[in-house]
Amino acid sequence: MTWISSRWKIALMIAPAAILFSLFVIYPVLYSLGYSFTKFQGFSAPEFIGFDNYVALGSDPFFWIALQNTVIILVVSIVLLVPSSFALALLLRTAIRGAGALRALVFGPAIIAPILVGLIWVFILDPKIGLLNRLLAIFGASPVQWIGGDTLTPYMISIVFIWSSIGFAMTIFYAGLQLLPQDVMEASSLDGASSWQQLRLITIPMMKETFGIVTILMITNVFKIFELVYMLTGGGPVHRSETLVSYMYFVTFTNQQYGYGMAIAVIVTLLGAAASIGYLALARGKKEQEA
Amino acid sequence: MSSILKDRHLVPPSEYAAEPPAPRTRSKVKRVGFWVGALAYLVTFLIVLPLFWIVLLSFQPSGNILSNPFDLSQLTLDNYINAISQLPLLTMYGNTILIALISVTVGTAVSFTAAFALTRMIFRRKKLQSALRYYLLAGLAVPVYILLFPVYRLDLALGVFGTYAALILPYIAVSIPFNTLLLTGFLREFPGEIEEAAIIDGAGLFRLCWSVVLPLMRPVIATVLIFNVVYIFNEFPFASILINNPDLVTVSLAVSRFQGQYSVDYGGMMAAATLVLVPQLVIYAIFQRHVIAGMTVGAVKG
Amino acid sequence: MHLPFRRTHSLRRLAIGALAATVTAVALAGCGSTGGGSADGVTKITLSMQNADVKTADPATWAIVQAFQKANPDIEVEVSGEAVADHLQKLSIAAQSDTLPDVFWIYKANAEEMFSAGKIMDLTSTLDDLGLTEKFPASTVSNFSQEDKVFGVPYQGLLTGLWVNEKILSDNGLEKPTTFDELLTVAKTLNAKGIPTISNGANQSAFSVWSFLTDLDRFGYSDKIEGILDGSESFNNPDFLTLYEHIAELRDAGAFASNVSTQTYQQAVDQFTSGKAAMLDSGVWASSAIQESSIASDVSFWQGPQFADGVGEQNIIMNVASAPLAVSAKVSGDQTKLAAVTKFIDFYYSDAAQQILVDNGQPPVTTYTPTIDATTQSALKSALDAAAAPGVTSPESQPDLLVSTPVANAMYDSIYGVIQNQLTPEEALDLVQKAIDAE
Repeated sequence: MTWISSRWKIALMIAPAAILFSLFVIYPVLYSLGYSFTKFQGFSAPEFIGFDNYVALGSDPFFWIALQNTVIILVVSIVLLVPSSFALALLLRTAIRGAGALRALVFGPAIIAPILVGLIWVFILDPKIGLLNRLLAIFGASPVQWIGGDTLTPYMISIVFIWSSIGFAMTIFYAGLQLLPQDVMEASSLDGASSWQQLRLITIPMMKETFGIVTILMITNVFKIFELVYMLTGGGPVHRSETLVSYMYFVTFTNQQYGYGMAIAVIVTLLGAAASIGYLALARGKKEQEA
Repeated sequence: MSSILKDRHLVPPSEYAAEPPAPRTRSKVKRVGFWVGALAYLVTFLIVLPLFWIVLLSFQPSGNILSNPFDLSQLTLDNYINAISQLPLLTMYGNTILIALISVTVGTAVSFTAAFALTRMIFRRKKLQSALRYYLLAGLAVPVYILLFPVYRLDLALGVFGTYAALILPYIAVSIPFNTLLLTGFLREFPGEIEEAAIIDGAGLFRLCWSVVLPLMRPVIATVLIFNVVYIFNEFPFASILINNPDLVTVSLAVSRFQGQYSVDYGGMMAAATLVLVPQLVIYAIFQRHVIAGMTVGAVKG
Repeated sequence: MHLPFRRTHSLRRLAIGALAATVTAVALAGCGSTGGGSADGVTKITLSMQNADVKTADPATWAIVQAFQKANPDIEVEVSGEAVADHLQKLSIAAQSDTLPDVFWIYKANAEEMFSAGKIMDLTSTLDDLGLTEKFPASTVSNFSQEDKVFGVPYQGLLTGLWVNEKILSDNGLEKPTTFDELLTVAKTLNAKGIPTISNGANQSAFSVWSFLTDLDRFGYSDKIEGILDGSESFNNPDFLTLYEHIAELRDAGAFASNVSTQTYQQAVDQFTSGKAAMLDSGVWASSAIQESSIASDVSFWQGPQFADGVGEQNIIMNVASAPLAVSAKVSGDQTKLAAVTKFIDFYYSDAAQQILVDNGQPPVTTYTPTIDATTQSALKSALDAAAAPGVTSPESQPDLLVSTPVANAMYDSIYGVIQNQLTPEEALDLVQKAIDAE
């Protein structure tokens, strides 16, 4: 491998991605970071105000509500989504008739634009016109304020997020399962390992990297949830169901407080990165413990 | 056992890739009971249920959608006629497919070479290698709204505003973190002896990537392609800011036009959603074969 | 579609490995560009509006543009639009990059900022030359002026209030109310039958509180606002508190739909036009939707309740100019464009174009007296009649148009906060005061 890894070859392999990424992602982030230190309303000239926007976040109750909602959604989604999508990948890998068609169908929700996902679930969760309460009414149960009330909205957003992501996560797990060395699997079943033992002792440990990929993707995706909230409740009542990005959108584009909005965006980016790094550190710590 | 493996790598890659995977798939997967199958069908049904809901609503007259969506007596094709007559179908699919084709090809290619270098090539400074990987991965945490304004100005400065490149360039760039995560993750687990065999066989860097590693990564590449295509079909924030020429509208932009400020045609949106959904499901079904075809990879790893 | 391969020539040498693909992508992209010149003697002007689909969502503007192009075949108006938030976002970005459209819809507060920054054109002399200054109501001109310079022209009229389904009222033995106490009685009676009195929706449309904004003017808003903004008075004052407590009374009487927080404005309109709510909080722009519905003949317009404990004149109706249309400052530097835009403005306020507004369910913005068909435009006629009723006056401007966008949004939130029982009247008022303090 060494002789193939000359310095200019490495540079040539990485440069296109690194240049495009730096120009269209990193440079814009730094640009917006600069704006987060200004008071900028969108139409007049920006005015430098140092850390004032970040300080103001501390006393902005809606920001804290949005943060709290995001954390609830993060915990509920990750705890439920990662194991269930893995289980689903295992299930749809078995030799059942039409497994391929089932996989395509399960992936269906992941294809729908988030804004439409939100719209579909409005017709399911809305306390008055939604499917769920119509069904409850048939059984004579009293209606539940699934969305738009004081408490349930973030949990419902988690459910919708899980629904729209499960096919996505399942596909990655499925690809990971396909890369497992079959001879090891065959050998272990010849050795008389039960399916459960094989799963726990062989499959899952060998899938560590895949679990990492799915978890990090889902963490960073939760931090980007916007359209679901926008369609389901518009962030209401009175910003009680905002997530960080939906609140950032409100501040930036509805309130036209561009500088303040960018400060929130910077915080969202840092939190997303911190959560991912935190997970990686956790996973690594565990690995070393085992080793 | 490893000698058998190496022999397999000496087979020219084209023939190797063409090897039929089918006979192996059945035998190695355990036979499963009736209940497992039933469970799989039940879970799939539950997941798909909301999709049936859109399809049902897409055939309802607008008056029924909010008031009486279960009424099956007045189903109509009006929403489809309306959606098809209002959507610039040819333009929007043409544009989106062109943009997706270029962005996804280039995005996957540059991500693959970078991911290969970041996992398989030998850096003099190991720290630099992992720092570069984290640099690219950091993009995963960036919400798109932070990018809109600067990217708009960047497009203007580069003189690409009002062209396909205005969207293609940011689409490639934002796909890089995701692609890198997936590709580096799976490349790390890639068995080293295959490369060694190829190098001993006299393969250069290009042949190693293109003819040896890439075919074996098919399930992952297929996954990357699927996700990138789906992303571009649904991407709205960039498209709404960077496209101001009706000739360049994309699918998501055209569909969003159904949602005006003071009038929302829910039936039309549902019909449009169905129209957008179906071709994407077909694309997935096609690529999915490649994910399955990757099963042979398992046989060579050891 | 032509692929301009010539662009790749100079770059071909560089195109090795993966770089080749990137470069091709850039070059391929060249085929999308179109120049906006006037090669064939046709002058093109761009008009950017606050609706994603102008043709269906804003038929009045669309019809005026079509009529204008017919009358001026040498001028082409390119109409584009996005939903309000996207539209403003686009304009903000365009203003920073000097790529503003020629004519565009914009909030008054934003227009003022852009005018100070020299981004939009001073229209004073244009309007004087065209003799338009006299054709507008005086309040419109003063509303869109900064130190006697006019920065915008009125887009459409903002005539707001409550649409009333009189049949629902009479079926339940009720009469169309005049005072707040009567409205409260209506709400209690209808709630017992499970009918919402006032249809509105906060989801993605927190701004849909028009009738309550007029109520603020029935509690002395126009006299107080200057003091509130300069800090000598608080938004949380006893008069406003009285109003907000009245809103809470309405809520407790069951005046609002149970899903007011997840319902959008459009759903609220639908609820009303399908005969499931007695009143709709909206404005004259809803007249077309009402006219097309089956309840059209039962509907009349109501200016809103009069309060026994209100402040100042109670017999008022909100009938003011809405947001302005502004002209990019760059237009003044281009003589052909300037001439075309001047012609467009002249046409927009001609009697013919004002009649087009009326034909499409909008009130005229000039002093023109339109012809209205009493049966096919009964809803619009009812609103215009209410505005012209003897003794009724209008405030100079709608309360939210006199403050910055964040304060206006806080105002909407405060009203919906009480309606949705999320905020007490005091908390609601403090929310607005906090937004003012943050300025």
